[in-house]
Order: sequence, then C-alpha cells, then structure tokens
Amino acid sequence: MVAVAQHPNIELVTYAEVSKISGYIGNFQVQIKKKAKYVDWDACTGCGLCTEKCPTKKLKDEFDLGMGLRPAIHKLFPQAVPGKPYIDAGNCRKLTEDKCGVCEKICPVGAIRFDDQDQYLDYEIGAIVMATGYDLFGWEEAYGEYGYGKYPDVISGLHFERLVSAGGPTQGHIRRPSDGKEPKQVAFIKCVGSRDDTKGKSYCSRACCMYTAKHAYQVKTKIEDSEAYVFYMDVRTAGKNYEEFYQRALNEGATFIRGRVSKIYPKGDKLVLKSEDTLIGRPIEVEVDMVVLATAMVPSQGSLELAKTIGFSTDKDGWYQEAHPKLQPVETFSAGVYLAGACQGPKDIPDSVAQASAAAVKVCGLFSKSELATEPMVSEVDMGKCSGCALCVPICPYNAISLKEIQERGGHGHGPFTRMVAEVNSSLCQGCGACIPACRTAALNLKGYTDEQLVSEVDALCL
Amino acid sequence: MKKRVGVFVCQCGTNIEATIDTEKVAEYARKLPGVVYATTYKYMCSDPGQELIRNAISEHQLEQIVVASCSPRMHENTFRKAVVGGGLNGYMFEMVNIREQDSWVHHERVAATKKAEDLVRMGVSKVLRNKPLQVSTIPITKRALVIGGGIAGMQAALDIAEAGHQVVLVEREASIGGKMTQLDKTFPTMDCAA
Amino acid sequence: MSIDQEKWEPKVIVFACNWCSYAAADLAGLNHLEYPADVRIIRTPCSGRMDPMLVLRAFNRGADGVLLSG
Repeated sequence: MVAVAQHPNIELVTYAEVSKISGYIGNFQVQIKKKAKYVDWDACTGCGLCTEKCPTKKLKDEFDLGMGLRPAIHKLFPQAVPGKPYIDAGNCRKLTEDKCGVCEKICPVGAIRFDDQDQYLDYEIGAIVMATGYDLFGWEEAYGEYGYGKYPDVISGLHFERLVSAGGPTQGHIRRPSDGKEPKQVAFIKCVGSRDDTKGKSYCSRACCMYTAKHAYQVKTKIEDSEAYVFYMDVRTAGKNYEEFYQRALNEGATFIRGRVSKIYPKGDKLVLKSEDTLIGRPIEVEVDMVVLATAMVPSQGSLELAKTIGFSTDKDGWYQEAHPKLQPVETFSAGVYLAGACQGPKDIPDSVAQASAAAVKVCGLFSKSELATEPMVSEVDMGKCSGCALCVPICPYNAISLKEIQERGGHGHGPFTRMVAEVNSSLCQGCGACIPACRTAALNLKGYTDEQLVSEVDALCL
Repeated sequence: MKKRVGVFVCQCGTNIEATIDTEKVAEYARKLPGVVYATTYKYMCSDPGQELIRNAISEHQLEQIVVASCSPRMHENTFRKAVVGGGLNGYMFEMVNIREQDSWVHHERVAATKKAEDLVRMGVSKVLRNKPLQVSTIPITKRALVIGGGIAGMQAALDIAEAGHQVVLVEREASIGGKMTQLDKTFPTMDCAA
Repeated sequence: MSIDQEKWEPKVIVFACNWCSYAAADLAGLNHLEYPADVRIIRTPCSGRMDPMLVLRAFNRGADGVLLSG
C-alpha cells in the first residue's frame, strides 16, 4: 500500500468516484468527483489529535463492520493510506448543527476545512483498468433459517476476520459479539448464497473453502479446548498448496461435516444447528457458541452503473464480462478497458494479483505504441448525395457526425453557393451503422457492411 | 477489380470435418461465379495453413479471399494478416463461420454441409463487392486510470507505474487497500494481508 | 396453398449484431446446443445497422422468416 502512495508515477485520488467517462481507446475524457473530506490533506500531518479529541465518539465503525466504535473525524483504519483523517459529514455536530468545532480549534496546523466542497477533476486517459472488487451477499435478507441476521452470534466470514485480526475491535482475541465471551464451539457454514439457485447465486465463490479452513484452523489454534465444526457441500481446494493447507486444518482437529444446515435456533446462550451428515446418512444436531457464514461474493455496489457509463457489458450475475472466457480474460468489449480482480468474478488474492498484472501488461502493450491503428470499417458520406438534413447527427451514439459547410460551383443559371453536408469523424465512429437507415438519400454507407454487400448476402442466400 | 476469388475451407481437425463434408463444400465453391480456386486444409489457422493461403494468392493471382472456418470473432485478424502477407489488401477478405454456427450446432451431415455451401455462397457474393480499405491511426494518451484501490487495483497501478507510465488510481473509500485490509492472515501461507 | 411439412425447408435469415447475438450464436456453438439447420446468420456490425430495406428484400426474395437480434 505504501509503495502505491509513494510511487512518483501514481496519482492517488481517494474518497473519490468516477462521475463521467467519454471518448475511446487512447483518448478517454474522465471526470472524477472528489468528495468533500473537510480536512486539507496537504496541510494535515496525520498526527491524530482531532480523532482523539472529537466528542462524537460512539459511531459504529464500518471498517469493523459495526463491531467497534469510531469518532466522526477519523481515518478509515489506523494504517490507512494516505494516513489522513476525514470527517463523516452526516455525523459531525459542526456540519449538521453548527456546534462543537473542537477539531478545528485543536488542529496544530489548521487543516480543518468545514467549508470544503466536492471537487471535480478532469483527466485525459489512454486506458482504463476496472478493479472494483466485490461485496458480500446480503444473507440477512435471504436466509430465514439462519435467523435473518437476528442472532448476534451468527456472523459472516468477514466479521470473523475482524475478530481475529490484531487490529480489530477485540485486538485479535476471538470473542462473540453478543456477550464478549470466548466461544468454545464454533460452527462454520459454507456456500451461504453460493451454489444456491433458489436463495442466492448459482456460482461458486471460490475463496470460501479456503478461508473457512483457515478460520477453523485459527479457532483450533487460538482457543484452548475448542471445537470447530465445518458444514460443507464440497471441499474445493484447487490452488497451489491449498489442499495441503486444508489437511493442516484437519490435522489441527477441525471437524468437517458434509451437509447443509437446515435451521439455527437459540437455546439458552447457545445456538443449535440442525443438519444432516450425508456421509453417514443421519440427521445431526450441534450446539455451538458462535456461527460463521461463508457468504457469497457479489459484484460491488455501483459497479453496474459504472459499466453502463463506460459502455461494456456484465454477465447474468452482474460481474464484468470479459471479451472471451479463455482467450481474452482481461479485455472487455470496450477497447482500452481491462479487468482486474474480483470485478470479473469471484477470485482469491493470488488470482486477483495475477489478473491485475495481466491487465497492466495489456495497458503497457497499448502504451508501447505512439499511435493506434483504427478499424477502417466506419461510416462515410457521399457528399454529392447528402442533402444536409442532419437526421443522422442525433442518431449517432458516439457523437461522430457533424455538419460542415461546402462550396458548390453552381451552374444552370446559379452562381457558386454553399450548403451543409454531414461529416463523419472516423476516430469517434465505432462502425455501428446506426446512421445508415436514417439517411434518406442513401448518402451514408458503412465501409465493409455497405448496402450493396448486405443485399448481396441476402440475394445469394435466397437465390 | 478483377473477380478472382479463392475459397479456403478449414476442417479444424475433426471439429468441422466430422459434421461437414469440406471437400464437397470446396467443390461446390469452385462452381460459384468468380471463384477460381478452392481447397480444404486440416488447420487453416496454423502456420502451414496461412502459408497455403499466401502461396495460393500468388499462384492463382487471387484478388478476393474467403475462409470458411471458425467464427470471425476468433480468427478474423489471423487470416486478415495472412491475406496481407499474400500481398492483398486485408479487407478483400471475408470469413464464413462453419464451426460455431454450423458443425457445432447441427448433427445431420447432409443438412450441415448444405448450410456450409449456402454460407460460402453468401461469403463469395459479399467479398466480390468488397473494396480495399485503409487503416488510419489515432494518438494514444499514455496515462492509465485504475478504478478501485484494492489488491487488484494496487497491483495493476504499480505494474503500470513501474513500466514508466502515469497512473491515476481512484478509490471510493478514504484509504486504498480494499477488502484485503480487513483480513487477518491469509491462506495458504498465513502471512499478513495488510 | 399447402406446404408439404416433410419436404419443406424453410429459409430463415437472422441478422445478428456482432457484439451480442452473433457472439451468443458462437456461444451456442461452443456449448454444442443444437438448433434446426435451416437458419442462416448474416453478421451485422450492430443491430443499429439494420435497414428495413434489408428485411423487405429478404421477404421479396422468398425468405420464410427474418429474425433481427441485437
């Protein structure tokens, strides 16, 4: 992370979103909206005094998935890059009620800017790498048998990551959310939302088998006299050293049970899981202190709108569509737009990094040339036929057609005169041909797909 | 422009040949108006296959080329280059899809062969009306935009930056790192994520 | 006018957009999904290129069905 921030060739724009993209490969115009942070990051030294003194302290920390607390002015997490705080405007008393203002008074370098506004930055861009990642499936809406999120000790795998992380709300001690007790028996349920056509997604989320094995391993090694029960449909360990890691979890004593959990219900301060063990063909019940769900990966929020803005497609589940599943896995149908990581489909870290490097090579390959050859199958205007009616101009989705004035010599008693005709910008034209049916005088034609060519195909077929 | 069409029917190993009688298609093609040469080959996209096209162009003074093989979405550029290598304009070429849209979706050999003949006839008819097209060039702005600052975005940005190009990395949150920063140790090596 | 169902070979012309329907037809091939062999696909750069003239031409020349897809 630090390497990214310090690289002289990388301009880091955080707390920002792409608001507009136009243009084409090699020549995109991009507008980025930098959201107001209310802190001047050029002046801020990241000393942290404001965060310490902010009186609005009891806000749920999104980074810890609501399991920890944070003040209104805060860094996303202590090791954030850039290591500067921002104000959560919706919860700041100065910004909502015009009271408080403690951070402004206390900041030693005067970096607080309550009048900060969203800024719009414009860039000329040659190539785009999409790396918008994933979100977790909202199991709370779909899985009533697991309590619709009502039981505090039924958590997602990401919650577990925060609980076991040294930087998390429990400093790395595994404690269950309801009463802060150390859970002795922990159950893990895999494929929650994945491989479930009726309630979730049809696909496999690919990383869950491995992280669940890791979680079970961590429960067994971090908690004395603990039990880890893993309910699975299949164990998929297709990756280098993955099967070995799974064996490590088994050797540590994790219990793997092949079966779908059909119900979770509370009993005292315990949770009871009803399932079956399909390997012995018997129904079973397990009492545990905490349940961890391996929830499916889904496309990140807003990724669909972004794809629409840029103009490439998504698959049936909303993942970004690659140009070819085997031969062009990082390209999209939009030239100059490449895919990296889980935005294309569920991926673990090694696969994401590999695809990111592949996307980078595609960009570098493009940038190794000084100019790019364009597809010559674009529209052209026969100026002799064009009446200048301009019906084609609003039809072009790429704004490639405009009107220009030409000189005519005249004749038959007329002197020279000027008139308007359509003109196609061949760099902007993508060769879709939408303008051609609109042309009333048949002055427009699409090179490579002319009326004559298509008619000849129809005629040859109908003989 | 003289009308001297060459038709090249690919067998794609047995991918096409198993369902379509390619010899019959080539023979049919020879009788089409404008066609002066037609042949089959096991793998038209291979080096010897492309060599075959280049040699036939000079040997038979071909002016238009039709390749009946897989989808143009697969190998249009491959064959266009071969056509250019043979000394013709790359756009005096049409590709006919007899694999994805014929041999792979039909099982009845007679009907599939008949369809291949129809498709070749359409391709020949179209290519006779093709005109040489010239490729133009556009400039390239050598600055990349990476959208998303998670592990994938950071890796892509670093690689592009290391190659000496400018990168703008946009992240929705106030810090880069993405989901990875929320993870504890990661499988299979149990090293730290952040 | 009656049609002998046994011998009738309908001529169905599909105008398919290169970016979606034509690619989908390729995908059907990739998955070896079978459909009747009477269908002939003409590739268009985009369904926007479709001119009503082409449809009329096809019917005029004896096509039994025309499918525009994009």
